[in-house]
Amino acid sequence: MVHVTIDGHALSVPDGTLVVEAAKQVGIEIPVFCYHHKLEPVGACRMCLVEITPGPPVAQAACIRPVQEGMVVKTQTGMAVQARADILEFELANHPLDCPVCDKGGECPLQDFTFRHGYPTSRIDGPRLHFKKPIPLSPTIALDRERCVLCYRCTRYYDEVAWEQELTVGARGVESFITSQFDQPLKSIFSGNIIDLCPVGALTSRVWRFESRPWDMTHTASVCSKCAVGCSVTMWQRRGQLVRITSHENDDIDEGWICDRGRFDYTDVNDPQRLRTPLVNGSRATWNAALVALAAGIKGKGAKLGISLPQDLTNEEAFLFRRLLDGPLKGAKVKMHGRTAIPAPAGETMRIRELDDAKVIVVVASDTENDVPIVNLRIKKAVSKLGARLIVVHPEGVDFDRDRRTVHIRNAPGSAAAEVRKLADHELLKSPGGLVAILFGDGHGSEDMNELAAACGALAEKVGGKEMPLYRGTNERGALATGVAGWDSLDGVEALLCWGPPLTSGVPASVKFLAAWDHLLRPAHHKAAVVLPATTFAEQQGSYTNLEGRVQFLRPAVAIQAPLKESWEVLTELAVALGLDLGYAGIFPLQRDVAASNAAFADLARPPAPEPEPAPVLIGSTHP
Amino acid sequence: MAEQRGTVGGPVLTEWFATADLHKLDVYEALGGYSALRKVVSGMTALQVIDEVKVSGLRGRGGADFPTATKWSFVPKDHPGPKFIVVNADESEPGSAKDRYLLENSPHMLLEGAAIATFAIGGHDAWVYIRGEYDLPFEMLRDAIAEARTKGYLGAKPFGADYPLDVHLYRGHGAYICGEETALLESLEGKRAQPRSRPPFPAVKGAWGLPTAVNNVETLATVPWIIRHSGAEYATRGTEKAKGTRMVTVSGDVQKPGNYEIEIGVTYRHIIEELAGGALPGRKLKVFWPGGSSAKVLPASMLDTSTDLDGLKALGTMGGSGGIIVMDDSHCVVKGAARLLRFYAHESCGKCTPCRVGGNWAVRTYDRILAGEGSQLDLNILDRVQQGLQAGRCLCGLGDAAGWVIQSTMTHFRNEYEEHSLHNTCSVEKVAVGA
Repeated sequence: MVHVTIDGHALSVPDGTLVVEAAKQVGIEIPVFCYHHKLEPVGACRMCLVEITPGPPVAQAACIRPVQEGMVVKTQTGMAVQARADILEFELANHPLDCPVCDKGGECPLQDFTFRHGYPTSRIDGPRLHFKKPIPLSPTIALDRERCVLCYRCTRYYDEVAWEQELTVGARGVESFITSQFDQPLKSIFSGNIIDLCPVGALTSRVWRFESRPWDMTHTASVCSKCAVGCSVTMWQRRGQLVRITSHENDDIDEGWICDRGRFDYTDVNDPQRLRTPLVNGSRATWNAALVALAAGIKGKGAKLGISLPQDLTNEEAFLFRRLLDGPLKGAKVKMHGRTAIPAPAGETMRIRELDDAKVIVVVASDTENDVPIVNLRIKKAVSKLGARLIVVHPEGVDFDRDRRTVHIRNAPGSAAAEVRKLADHELLKSPGGLVAILFGDGHGSEDMNELAAACGALAEKVGGKEMPLYRGTNERGALATGVAGWDSLDGVEALLCWGPPLTSGVPASVKFLAAWDHLLRPAHHKAAVVLPATTFAEQQGSYTNLEGRVQFLRPAVAIQAPLKESWEVLTELAVALGLDLGYAGIFPLQRDVAASNAAFADLARPPAPEPEPAPVLIGSTHP
Repeated sequence: MAEQRGTVGGPVLTEWFATADLHKLDVYEALGGYSALRKVVSGMTALQVIDEVKVSGLRGRGGADFPTATKWSFVPKDHPGPKFIVVNADESEPGSAKDRYLLENSPHMLLEGAAIATFAIGGHDAWVYIRGEYDLPFEMLRDAIAEARTKGYLGAKPFGADYPLDVHLYRGHGAYICGEETALLESLEGKRAQPRSRPPFPAVKGAWGLPTAVNNVETLATVPWIIRHSGAEYATRGTEKAKGTRMVTVSGDVQKPGNYEIEIGVTYRHIIEELAGGALPGRKLKVFWPGGSSAKVLPASMLDTSTDLDGLKALGTMGGSGGIIVMDDSHCVVKGAARLLRFYAHESCGKCTPCRVGGNWAVRTYDRILAGEGSQLDLNILDRVQQGLQAGRCLCGLGDAAGWVIQSTMTHFRNEYEEHSLHNTCSVEKVAVGA
């Protein structure tokens, strides 16, 4: 530990801590634009200038200086205060005065820092530099070069974190501007994070653009429902609409990054065509009438009943389906959408966070970039920042190939297990010097999963590694634990209940009775006898189990509008209509039962603590 | 054939420059060239080389004035992988042309020095990053490297010693900032030339992330002489603290502009009036830049300032890269400063805020002043901009240099600034500006 003094506060911090981070620990704000705690420091914007002794009597950038024993940092000397005010004046010299219509206005560090650290008056009277704007960087991201403060967070993120080559800087000096490579649209699935990173309104979401002011929204920390990684997200609500999704840093899983599916794929929640009342034979009906009709259509069908389940089925829904399948719907065939062929885990599997400790990472039969995007970023971090070595077994090129040290074994599809068996003698795995992480997918159906899982298990045992099965379906692991992650063929069933989106393969010709629970009325539903209006991830309660086995709660960001009902409520009432009274009057007793049913759901009995209030920012406090 | 220029106390760098065809290896060797490298690889240890240079007191001639031996000793000795000497031949400082002069006369002198330095840090390869516009020096260096390799002086076994040494040539990308050592390394790696933040310093993490010492051409060209004669003999030249000789380039309003080797400690009066012949007939010297455009100006009344580097530092200016720019009383300082600011704003890489915006803001303010639309406000802006560029505000020295131009010219020639800004006249050029 190193002892330092910051504005009179004595503290000890680990060796290597940057001054700007040390200051946070005592609640002192050192303003930054270019510095970001997940990116390598560059010292470009110079916003964080402070006075440091011992050292030359000049302003020093706090974001690139590690602490040293006995260092005294002063943020409030005349020189430091003036240095920062001067930087802000420079940042504003060419900044357009469009704060009133800027999406960032209200949550903009440039505004806040100018208020807290800038000069009270402006001496900027000359003409400002102009760029064509806004420029569509992609269908989802707009770039405003006039607002840009050139902190390079976006380009550095692209280089360091995403390993993509799509974003760069053009020209030089005051004419420098951010541009996509060869002016081509950004294609990366990780592109949206640059919106969160941008400290000004230069990079904004075209999906959210001009939708609302930041202070006009309420926000709710929740969990993403698009894949099995289960990233933490913040959902933003305004007047009953879900208007924005941003990341919500969780170092156990996502480290503050989310993929574009999780960020931009939400507008269906606000679709004016949302289904709100039940339909029986195409006509609006009461819930009671609809559930009675549904129960009549599916009861006692045995194996003639098919049930299709969505990938984002909650644990609670899965548990209720389990009860129905054990009772009135016994024998029904079940198919879960979007799941892999990976079998249920035998026990605890490796945690995403443990990738940071891995010395060698083996990725088998998975296109992680698309299957589990944020795990892909975590692997990249382990390789480029923490020195892990990477072995990929995959038939096609993957983005990991951009690191020249990556060992890529291009196997013939179906032969992954054979390749994994050979790996035990691989040079990198002979003495890995630490944890070996073995991540495996199902090659989208090309691999024999019993064989591959066995091969990975044998490899893990031999090299002392840990396994991480890469499930794809959002709650595939929860559905596996409850035994509803069916893999049955629905051909030949006479009655079909589509819980969630319709079957991609179409309704089998044999189906005489079709029922659906969906939030949009789709063409596939026109033949349905019963259609129930569904809630979405933005408004329903429940929980998901992510690919590492972590149980996480969905928190409703948008209030349910009657006559919509919670999914667990619909299933409980359906059970009553089928003659099974489960007696759940609320979700908490249900969650307690789910928790008791299987050790994998134990966390459901312990709802997480509410979010702590953000710490107040101190400026100019020199009194310890 | 190169013209021999006057020196004091016996020349070091230009010792053999009167010899015809010095750029050819056999001519260079006949005079004693490559004997230093032979001596180093066939008997000296790396530590002995560093010690010899330490005794000489040689300091970096690129402008930073950092002790060369100390810089070499910062390169970790026990680092297992490759280590590099990178030669900064991206001479771009306005007013400085000494490296070009050295390269065009004696390219082998640099190669020998670079090879010795590479040996001293325990490396095997040196990279010469040469300014893209330097065509003739590039060709001469290229030919010289080929000659030395053919002779076996560079290569797997220089002079039979089992210690591979080689020098590689890399043409620069044509920007002033490429001469800043970390931006040079970025450019050498094929990236956009922008300075890196320090720490880590190049000695720990330099070219391609490996330990690197970046040295100026003149610095390395001095090293063979030091090895041949001895550090102690080099140290007899110069002043007590600033040893040796150095090259200066005199340009501007003098009778004999050119490159001169001087003993450190002589006065600027000696250089400008005696070596360079003084002011043009009928004119009076007004102001000079003592060490490239990046050094703070001194008025002619301070001609008796010594070239002693520490003395210059005490005056707030520097010997820099040795480019002495002289301006006489027929030129307006405000216009001169405005021209330089245009250069600095144009050459700003754009990475850090103060330099990117400040330089441009200063240019726009100068433009307003010179267009006759100036006011006290503009003087205040210039004053605040120059403060905002200096003293650690910027990532590298380019911003500081731009600030120094404004600050030093405003300090010494406040009257000219006020004439332009407040009265729209110029007593120097005797015409109403903007009229």
